[in-house]
Amino acid sequence: MPKCIIDGREVTFTPGQNLIEVARSAGIEIPYFCYHPGLSVVAQCRMCAIEIEKMPKLQTACSTPAAEGMVVKTQSDRVKKNQKSVMEFLLINHPLDCPICDKSGECDLQDFSFDYGDPHMRYTEERRTYLDLDMGPVIKKSMNRCIHCTRCIRFGDEIAGIHEMVAVQRGNDTEITTIDGLPLMTEYAGNYSDICPTGSLTLRDFRFKKRAWFLKKTPTVCEGCSRGCNMEVQQENNMIYRCVARTNLDVNKHWICDEGRFNYQYAHDADRVVEPALQTKSGLTLSDWTQAIRKAKETVLGKKVVALVGSDLTQEEAGLLISFLPENFQGISIFHYGTPGVHSVKDDGHADKILKMKSKTANLNGLEKLGLKGFESLPPGTQAVLVFRGGRAVVPELRNVQVVGVGVFNKPQAEKFEAVLPGASFVEKEGTIINFEGREQKFKRAILPVGQSKMLSEVLMMWANRT
Amino acid sequence: MLLKPKTSLVQKIYFVDICKGLFITMKNMLFSKKVTIQYPEERRDYSDRFRGMHYIKATNGVENCTACMLCPTVCPAECIHIVAGERPDKEKYPVQFEIDVLRCCFCGMCEEACPKDAIKLSTIYEMSQTHREVYEKDFLLEQRGNK
Repeated sequence: MPKCIIDGREVTFTPGQNLIEVARSAGIEIPYFCYHPGLSVVAQCRMCAIEIEKMPKLQTACSTPAAEGMVVKTQSDRVKKNQKSVMEFLLINHPLDCPICDKSGECDLQDFSFDYGDPHMRYTEERRTYLDLDMGPVIKKSMNRCIHCTRCIRFGDEIAGIHEMVAVQRGNDTEITTIDGLPLMTEYAGNYSDICPTGSLTLRDFRFKKRAWFLKKTPTVCEGCSRGCNMEVQQENNMIYRCVARTNLDVNKHWICDEGRFNYQYAHDADRVVEPALQTKSGLTLSDWTQAIRKAKETVLGKKVVALVGSDLTQEEAGLLISFLPENFQGISIFHYGTPGVHSVKDDGHADKILKMKSKTANLNGLEKLGLKGFESLPPGTQAVLVFRGGRAVVPELRNVQVVGVGVFNKPQAEKFEAVLPGASFVEKEGTIINFEGREQKFKRAILPVGQSKMLSEVLMMWANRT
Repeated sequence: MLLKPKTSLVQKIYFVDICKGLFITMKNMLFSKKVTIQYPEERRDYSDRFRGMHYIKATNGVENCTACMLCPTVCPAECIHIVAGERPDKEKYPVQFEIDVLRCCFCGMCEEACPKDAIKLSTIYEMSQTHREVYEKDFLLEQRGNK
């Protein structure tokens, strides 16, 4: 392995790595704005300039690959002077609206201004201001805060595949905008907010909801499709405020799609059934666990039963059902269901060129590995159906049978059900899911189950114990 | 054997000590300035830095607060609850601004943390009430100019 020397420390690197990454692996921070590990390098913010021995001028660390025997100084006076000057230059037109800005607390500009900037400002002229155009339902733009790092332009170009953001005008008048002021078209628009180093592009959904430092972060895996992107659920007081992408270079790199990002919202949906419910003359009414389980048992016991297991359940839950159901129901047949048109792994495939998959449930591959077959139609003579659902699977149309639902349902879905036993959604439980490549990923629980909903294991335990 | 302190005759009589004591009492009673005041009618002047009841400062009828949440962050008693919102004339403003005064320890850190000079502690110290109350935004705005 080749070696270079950074701040007097010998650091090994793989050829081709740039100095920012090499320094980071040694625990040395080099500040940067325009560089992003997932995007191309443009070296235009000049913040990462460092001193290399035998080179007369400062070099940008993002565009300089490490070389054998290179001697790098990141703490010299020249470097520090440059960092201070760059910070002052970037802050000339940056408004002092951190109290209003949603980015504050996790803002690169704020952090680096604190660490490397000067607390005093010499600039006394009026700051440059822009009029903001609407950018669609996902992103809110505040051009005044922009520092022209062009990460968003490069993201659209290189990752999202739509060249929709551009820089118009030049020099001091540069404005980052969409072409012709159109709203953003990409289905990955939420990432614009993640990569923006300032508060210029923020999520409309998260606007003014919570300050970043209040949020507690839980690493989890998206259940939006069979890709299994890594993401982070951010919550406070058992209420989820947003999800952001978590870097996993093997699965989703640094990105997630908007569908997965906003998928958590069903957990707090007002329509979600979070109390045990049973069918009465006046429709589905809320009840308690004892009565709901009694009603569910009346509906199912002694009949020819089919169990439909949503392919959005975890491996653990599915395994539990596979051992529990045949013991308790004579002659039960178990199928998995999920996305209309995707009955098995063979039907699954890429839905676009970036991340999305056709199967809109996360654990299709896992359930197939457990030996379950896809649901096509009810076997003749079926009298009752047990439906297990995690929150994403689309319940097939079931006619002339009595249905008991266990899991996450909303009111319109469960209208015709005999009983609903509320279960936990993916943010409320932990487990393992297997994505389309066969990669096994564990995720953690972010919040406690909403309302009276319970884990599937608890529901089955109550089912087995109560008469 | 218990050792008794030796006392002289003058000390045994006590008379001189009693006179000394009474002299101080009479001096304070008759000649010094009174310390007590007739409270509800008479008021004492407090320093401007006294930390009493909170209020939200407003400029030209618009509250200074931008709901930046620094006061609930710094509050050691966790008694401030803010919900932020947006309206046409102000990008971010507090839709709800509540101070649970029963929990407040009047440390004044909210006032110190505020970047907009919006939350202030006045010199009002009479806050006894017959019921438990949470001060809401409208009430806190009315308390202006007490300082």
